[in-house]
Amino acid sequence: MNKMITAAIFVSSALSIQVSASVPDASPKELQQTVPAAAQVCLSCHGAQGQGIDLAGPKLAGLSSAYMMQQIKLFQSGSRQNPLMQPMSMTVQGDNIKVVADYFASQSVDKINLHYRGDKVVIADPAEKIAYQGDWSRDLPACFSCHGPSGVGAEQFPRLAGQQASYLKTQLEAWQSGTRKGDADNMMGNVASKLTAAEIDQLAQYFASLK
Amino acid sequence: MKFQAKNILGVAALIGFNLTPIADELPDRQQALPSVAKQAEHLYIESAALADIPAGEFGDKVRLGYQLFVNTQQLRDKHVGNELNCVNCHLNAGNKANASPLWGAYFAYPAYRKKNDKVNSFEERLQGCFTYSMNGKAPESGSKELVALSAYSYWLGMSGLMLQHNVAGPVPELSDSELVKGAKRDDFILPEAISSKMDQNALAQLPGRGYPAVPKAEQAYSPERGAKVYQAHCQSCHGKDGQGQMIAGVAALPPLWGPQSYNWGAGMHRVGTAADFIYENMPLGKSVQLTPQQAWDVSAYINSQERPQDPRFKGQVTDTQKQYHQHDGYYGKTISGKVLGSASSANFPKK
Ligand code: HEC
Ligand code: HEC
Ligand code: HEC
Ligand code: HEC
Repeated sequence: MNKMITAAIFVSSALSIQVSASVPDASPKELQQTVPAAAQVCLSCHGAQGQGIDLAGPKLAGLSSAYMMQQIKLFQSGSRQNPLMQPMSMTVQGDNIKVVADYFASQSVDKINLHYRGDKVVIADPAEKIAYQGDWSRDLPACFSCHGPSGVGAEQFPRLAGQQASYLKTQLEAWQSGTRKGDADNMMGNVASKLTAAEIDQLAQYFASLK
Repeated sequence: MKFQAKNILGVAALIGFNLTPIADELPDRQQALPSVAKQAEHLYIESAALADIPAGEFGDKVRLGYQLFVNTQQLRDKHVGNELNCVNCHLNAGNKANASPLWGAYFAYPAYRKKNDKVNSFEERLQGCFTYSMNGKAPESGSKELVALSAYSYWLGMSGLMLQHNVAGPVPELSDSELVKGAKRDDFILPEAISSKMDQNALAQLPGRGYPAVPKAEQAYSPERGAKVYQAHCQSCHGKDGQGQMIAGVAALPPLWGPQSYNWGAGMHRVGTAADFIYENMPLGKSVQLTPQQAWDVSAYINSQERPQDPRFKGQVTDTQKQYHQHDGYYGKTISGKVLGSASSANFPKK
């Protein structure tokens, strides 16, 4: 565990240099005023507005506070495993869990064009087809049923639209390999278990492209 | 035409009754369907892919039918009075065996109803789901919407039968007035390869039609036990309060009770019908998960909550109950000190 924390802090301090360079509109001083203290440590990997930083941490803007609180607890309990995020989840305890989750939940996301079930009858893109129609020959419901139009999500159903493709992919793989658990009644685990490797790739690209 | 003569005369004669003026009473079109036990050896028909719907006017009707079925909210405040979409209860866009598929329904209408000595055409059955399941105001007979939904149902069924019986070529086109009747009539033309193997009765009972009967449970159903099943297996999606989850203005996870759900006249309010549906189809995407006892109990739980009034209500819950609710439902019964139906929300409210 100690090793992991050291590794994580090393990564985070290494990254924070790049981050402050890439957020020119808010000086470090201003950031300190608007970002709650407990969330400061998160910015190096998730970005000052929770916009996500490729390879370092996924986008948090657009996720609900309730969902993020639950995920932080899942990292803490080991139901979700990740060498970077698990030690970081330990840095927030008690009321601070809600404070950091509220902070990222209040960050805005770009408006996207919403697409509803039935807008298209024939869908050529295989990922989009699964997203809107599912594949009931193997009891695979449409992603739409739980993640909504264009995968924008709400409450305990996370936003997929505009999330990093690499992150979406590793999550679906994590359910398949058993390193991500803790979703109510294994509902997402059940869906993920039915996807092929090629479909995971296509779905990750598809949802990431919705921005 | 090689249909067996059984029933045909009766049905043909009775179609005439349709022409008699519609009575003031809302007809009882929500009778329980015959619910048959699932059998392992059943082979379900498989419809052609949506991409195979032909170009042109007929195909356009089929496509519109699909779109209305999966996004019925297009008709909100015009014909729909709640947050539901047809696809919520007829899964996979009405194309899933054992989730009351449209292809199973189409060949069963016009259907003779002994109870009121009437024949129910296919469009009348569709109107029933608008009035009750959608808590709305049904589109007129022959309307664009009912033609489209009929065309989609016909196309699913006919393309499936043609594939099953190796009949080549496009699905034969039908006129609007033929489409809305349904296919259980002796002037309905079927390819010889199909009619030589299946008679009208076989077609009206295609394997996978309706919701298969859930096995009997050991104990009588109980809403109290059902509340526990609900918390463990339903609440995460349908919400603590049964109101589902709106995402970007759509009830992606649909409400199960309250003003935005089906009303007290809908088939789903019957404990048995909902138990059948739930046992086979819920939790979503997991196929059969619950024990029969759990399915009955949770059905009793969701159906002993308030919902929109029975549209046949004339001012007295006891009257409506006596006339229409002599079955396994909670309308008119007292639950935690309240008579269900006495505080029901409005029919066809505007948004
Ligand atoms: C060292 C980099 C790093 C830091 C610092 C960090 N995280 Fe993370 N975070 C990650 C990574 C990587 C993931 C993805 C983990 C995975 O793949 O399972 C993640 C995932 C998450 C998730 C889950 C997102 C989702 O969509 O499910 C939340 C919530 C989260 N982090 C919150 C925080 C908070 C709050 C902080 C500050 C206390 C923080 N993180 C600090 C790297 C970091
Ligand atoms: C039955 C409901 C349901 C369906 C259908 C569903 N999901 Fe999910 N999904 C969830 C829930 C709930 C979560 C959050 C899990 C948790 O709380 O840990 C989730 C989480 C995810 C995540 C992780 C997101 C993150 O930020 O960490 C991905 C990726 C995902 N879903 C992809 C999909 C795809 C792709 C489909 C369609 C093939 C799909 N889901 C269909 C319920 C569903
Ligand atoms: C709340 C759930 C629900 C919704 C929403 C719903 N239905 Fe139904 N539908 C049912 C049930 C339950 C039955 C079977 C009734 C019975 O057993 O008496 C049924 C029966 C039918 C049938 C006859 C099936 C057969 O095999 O005879 C058709 C056709 C139909 N519905 C079409 C529709 C259409 C079109 C819509 C949307 C306008 C719709 N339904 C919306 C629950 C629903
Ligand atoms: C994983 C999420 C999920 C779970 C868990 C779940 N449902 Fe559903 N349920 C859905 C979705 C989504 C639909 C609509 C399906 C569609 O539109 O494709 C639905 C439809 C329904 C409907 C018909 C529509 C309506 O609003 O009346 C009923 C009844 C229902 N569910 C009952 C239950 C019961 C009872 C349970 C628990 C045993 C349950 N569901 C568990 C997601 C879920």
